[in-house]
Amino acid sequence: MEILIATIAGIALLVIVVLIATRGRPGRFFSAAGQFLAVIAGNRWQVFFFVLAAVIAGVFAWLLYIYPASGLGAAQPIPFSHRVHAGVKQIDCRFCHPYAERSTYPGVPPGQKCLFCHDHIIAGHPEIRKEHDYFNTNTPVPWRKVNYLPEHVFFNHQRHIKKDVDCRECHGDVQSMDRLKGKDFKMGFCLECHRKKDANVGCWLACHN
Amino acid sequence: MDRRTFLKLAGMGSLTFASACTLESEKKLYSLVKNQDDMVSGKANWYAGTCRRCPAGCGVLAKNREGRVIKLEGNPLHPVNRGKLCIRGQSGLQAVYHPERLKGPRIKQDGRWQAISFEEAIARIAEKTRSAAARGKNRVRMLTCLEGDVCMGLFEKSMAALNGTAPLVFEPFSHEHLRTANQAVFGVSGLPSYRMENADCLVGFGADFLETWLSPVEYARRFKAMHAYADAKKGRFFHVSPWRGLTGANADAWLSCRPAAEAVICLGLIRQVLARKGSSGISAQMARQIRAVCEPYTREKVIDLSGVDPSGYDQMAESLLRAKDPLILGAGTLGRGRGDLQANIAANLLNFVLDPQLGKIDFTRRHRAEKAAGHGEIAAFFDQLAGNPPDVLLLNNVNPVYALPPEMDTSGILASQQMFTVCFSNFMDETAQRADMVFPVSMALESWDEYGAYPDLLSFCQPAMKPLYGAPQIGDVFLRIAPDGTFENKDTKQALISRAQERWGISDTGAWLQAVRAGGRFDHKDASAGASGPAVTPGFQDWFEDPPALIRSESLLFAALPSVRFFDGRDANIPWLCEIPDPVSKVAWQSPVLMHPETARKHGVRTGDGINLINRTGAVSAPVYETRNIRPGLAGIQAGQGHTGPGRYSGGRGANPFSLFSLQRQADAETAFYAAGPLRLEKSGQRQKLASTAGSMDPHGRKIALTVTLSDLAAPPGPEKHGLAMHDFPLTLPLPEGYDAHRDFYPPHDHADYRWAMAVDLDRCIGCSACAAACYAENNLAVVGEQEIINGREMSWMHIEHYQQMDRPDQPIFLPMLCQHCDNAPCESVCPVFAPHHNKEGLNNQIYNRCIGTRFCAQNCPYKVRRFNWHDWNWPEPLNLQLNPDVTVRSKGVMEKCSFCVQRIKAAHGHAKNENRMIKDGEVTPACVQTCPTGALVFGSLMDADSRVSKLVKDRRAYQVMGYLNTKPAVIYLKKVVHET
Repeated sequence: MEILIATIAGIALLVIVVLIATRGRPGRFFSAAGQFLAVIAGNRWQVFFFVLAAVIAGVFAWLLYIYPASGLGAAQPIPFSHRVHAGVKQIDCRFCHPYAERSTYPGVPPGQKCLFCHDHIIAGHPEIRKEHDYFNTNTPVPWRKVNYLPEHVFFNHQRHIKKDVDCRECHGDVQSMDRLKGKDFKMGFCLECHRKKDANVGCWLACHN
Repeated sequence: MDRRTFLKLAGMGSLTFASACTLESEKKLYSLVKNQDDMVSGKANWYAGTCRRCPAGCGVLAKNREGRVIKLEGNPLHPVNRGKLCIRGQSGLQAVYHPERLKGPRIKQDGRWQAISFEEAIARIAEKTRSAAARGKNRVRMLTCLEGDVCMGLFEKSMAALNGTAPLVFEPFSHEHLRTANQAVFGVSGLPSYRMENADCLVGFGADFLETWLSPVEYARRFKAMHAYADAKKGRFFHVSPWRGLTGANADAWLSCRPAAEAVICLGLIRQVLARKGSSGISAQMARQIRAVCEPYTREKVIDLSGVDPSGYDQMAESLLRAKDPLILGAGTLGRGRGDLQANIAANLLNFVLDPQLGKIDFTRRHRAEKAAGHGEIAAFFDQLAGNPPDVLLLNNVNPVYALPPEMDTSGILASQQMFTVCFSNFMDETAQRADMVFPVSMALESWDEYGAYPDLLSFCQPAMKPLYGAPQIGDVFLRIAPDGTFENKDTKQALISRAQERWGISDTGAWLQAVRAGGRFDHKDASAGASGPAVTPGFQDWFEDPPALIRSESLLFAALPSVRFFDGRDANIPWLCEIPDPVSKVAWQSPVLMHPETARKHGVRTGDGINLINRTGAVSAPVYETRNIRPGLAGIQAGQGHTGPGRYSGGRGANPFSLFSLQRQADAETAFYAAGPLRLEKSGQRQKLASTAGSMDPHGRKIALTVTLSDLAAPPGPEKHGLAMHDFPLTLPLPEGYDAHRDFYPPHDHADYRWAMAVDLDRCIGCSACAAACYAENNLAVVGEQEIINGREMSWMHIEHYQQMDRPDQPIFLPMLCQHCDNAPCESVCPVFAPHHNKEGLNNQIYNRCIGTRFCAQNCPYKVRRFNWHDWNWPEPLNLQLNPDVTVRSKGVMEKCSFCVQRIKAAHGHAKNENRMIKDGEVTPACVQTCPTGALVFGSLMDADSRVSKLVKDRRAYQVMGYLNTKPAVIYLKKVVHET
């Protein structure tokens, strides 16, 4: 949505400039290019600032939406790949997030759990050594949080899993992501589904308290 | 472009700059290092333990979420409290997470405190004690608070190995006079418990059993078992005392008498009972001695001496004589000299005369507080410290500098350079400041221990969380400082296991686990109710040789009053206890001088005037609070505040009544009294606003807190005519059937499956405010402080209102007030953004993220239960660790109010859905309902015809507070039942 609006706004601005510089007849942009350039030259500072603003906006848009890494989530202290574990190796989500079915929170696996496997699989890999270091020094791994809910929202995993809501419905195609990009959870996102499924939409009884 | 998108775009640029071009959340998600067998994130674990905030020893369940305890609830299996906790028990958590809790030991070097490690501190104590022990006998002394048998065993053994005598148990509320009286009359030097529930008439001579006396939660339950309306009957309770505190406020009649005149009244009653009922069942010699003591106290003399209201006295005497099962309770714990002991002895005698079998006194179930040393022993201990200072003095969790009369100079004695004083304390209190080393130890919720309120009761303490700062527990410290080879056990847990094996035969792991899970062994049976008491041994006459002093004093006298919040002062630094006002005076944070309006007028002062009270031993300054709950000629201050230590919430706050006491030693070294001599009153010239949360205690003729007499209830109900005025407005349930097209503007609400409601039995409510404290703990309520309370900005969702009864303004009544979850809620219709609205289960939701803070709702709420967040309140670390993760912490500019603990309702929904059933009655208990010691609150759904609440709303006593406003509240009150005058 934002990209669309920004693009349309950009095009509209361009059209306005052309219209102004050609005094309302865009055909003259081609027929009387010299005159057009003269008008531009006469207003060079205005044009300069306009172009500058457009470039800055363009850079932002590029950084936010087009830059190759913008599809990736936060870099984690250990480059854990959900694609490899959940996609390639087909490990069930609940193996690492065991409480999803029985509690509010799905649970983040303790470092020890990683090592149950990685004591045997690529145990000497430098990134796995990092995990060993965390474990040996009794330090919790400071993962970057990717999914964020405001404090006044209470999401209960158990209730959704029990209603056969697939993890992917909210968390996206985790199986294909190396670095998990958090879903941008907004109230509309929740409500859309709650309405579709005729679920509870009472403020307190559903999400807030 | 819609408004939201415009704002989004407008904000995007600046936000992108501000966050340095990263859109990643800055929050971290820490994983555990190791697997925990019993920790499921998002689910609570409950660990049974024992509350150690006072000597009563109630059982608690500690709710642990993600490794930290966030709530305490009573253990339903525990025989002392049966699932209930008092205001102090609920607030005990804040001691664990107190911002001033010491993180490690400190040692005083050249007058400066230096932090040292636990290991170093233990090594230092071991070296000091062992070298002192080598120097001779009694070079190491110890003073401790009341501990369980296991801990006391470790102390005693360590002290013996260190060449010293057993530690002395110091409890400021030692109930020493009651114990002495029991020795003098029954020959039992102990504190038997009272089967109050079997009585039908109770006369108390000041025993504050709802505040601090013996075991408040237990006696609140037992009291209401006899005093709550049931089967068309209700017991009577008379309170004889110069003042009326919480206990007195619950009495059917308060007989105001002169200070120390309680014994006189009691002797007068004995005389009347003997005259009316004779002395059957009493040995002739005993009867003769009792007669000799009470003979001079004729009715006229009693009334003359005690200044008691004659008609009240006659009524009490008549009730007592007519009662089938009368029970007499003696005086309270706070010193008023010899009069206390005389009152206790006289009360014992009266019990004996009324029932020579003493069936309502349980001599087998004796309170543990009886192990505390008396005033005389404590005085002798400090005399010895002064005269012949030992090399090392160990103090365990005691604060004698605060709680003992200043003339004993404990402060100076402890500061002595000759002694190396180690204070095992988690806080820098007055005593710790004067010690040479302060050693914080783990608290009851963090350690293995045992504390049985009764001799045969096994009640465990177990670690419900890891010690916050890694402090060792006191038992383990003693295991390490005692000379090698003293103990076979390597830690306190092992000592506990072997003790459980020896004493209770818990030998295998299964039995052990079962006991730890339950919180102890509770299958101990009471002795049969009819068992006779011990033979009565005459030894009481000496105490009545002189008539009680002080009675006729014309000068201003002083009384230290018990406080349900601060106990003996140990709880004064706990923010919730400061913030929740005293239920009787409704003053929070301060300890004003309670004074009768006549006395105040006589001295030319009025409420809020600062005064200094000066006597021979000390002086206190505090503002005046005029109340009719105290007798003219008396100035009273509630005990607990007035600390001189650096407490964040207690330091320099309020006044310490103990500092006006002097020690009166008796001929026999064992007995001593604390008493305050006559006072001089000086105006300090300053005025102070009282942090009172009560606008007025007068209902101004409005139907708020109602009473009904027994005879009205006994009469058949007359024909009811309903109208729309205050006096005839019908009870309108918050259900579709409560809709009436003639008076309702809005259509009725439909409710799906449940309509949550609460019944509040005013006849059972004692005003103890435990519900308020439970609410603070459960719902992350902010503590706003003294000034904001004066500004009227307290945040309590549930509070106790104190009113005068409409028909009898001299009698108080307590009304728990919380959001009424009205069906026709005035708050809902005025909010411009629909932040408060009605949900399908009848709850009045307050949506914090939608609220824009107009405060129209609070303005329109007739119950004044909505609270506005004027600030972002802070929880000084680590108090924030106590916050309930299931409840939003509200921020500035947002309205909040009682939610009926919707998080618990949602949890119950979860359980019910998992099992594919409806929520059962009783499955949802809001925090206030859970903790109410007398069961005054009942919660449930009105859609369920069989629920307890549905039955209670059909009770004849049911009414709605200000229901005539057609708000259709879902909180239904049951009128308090009173006796005819």
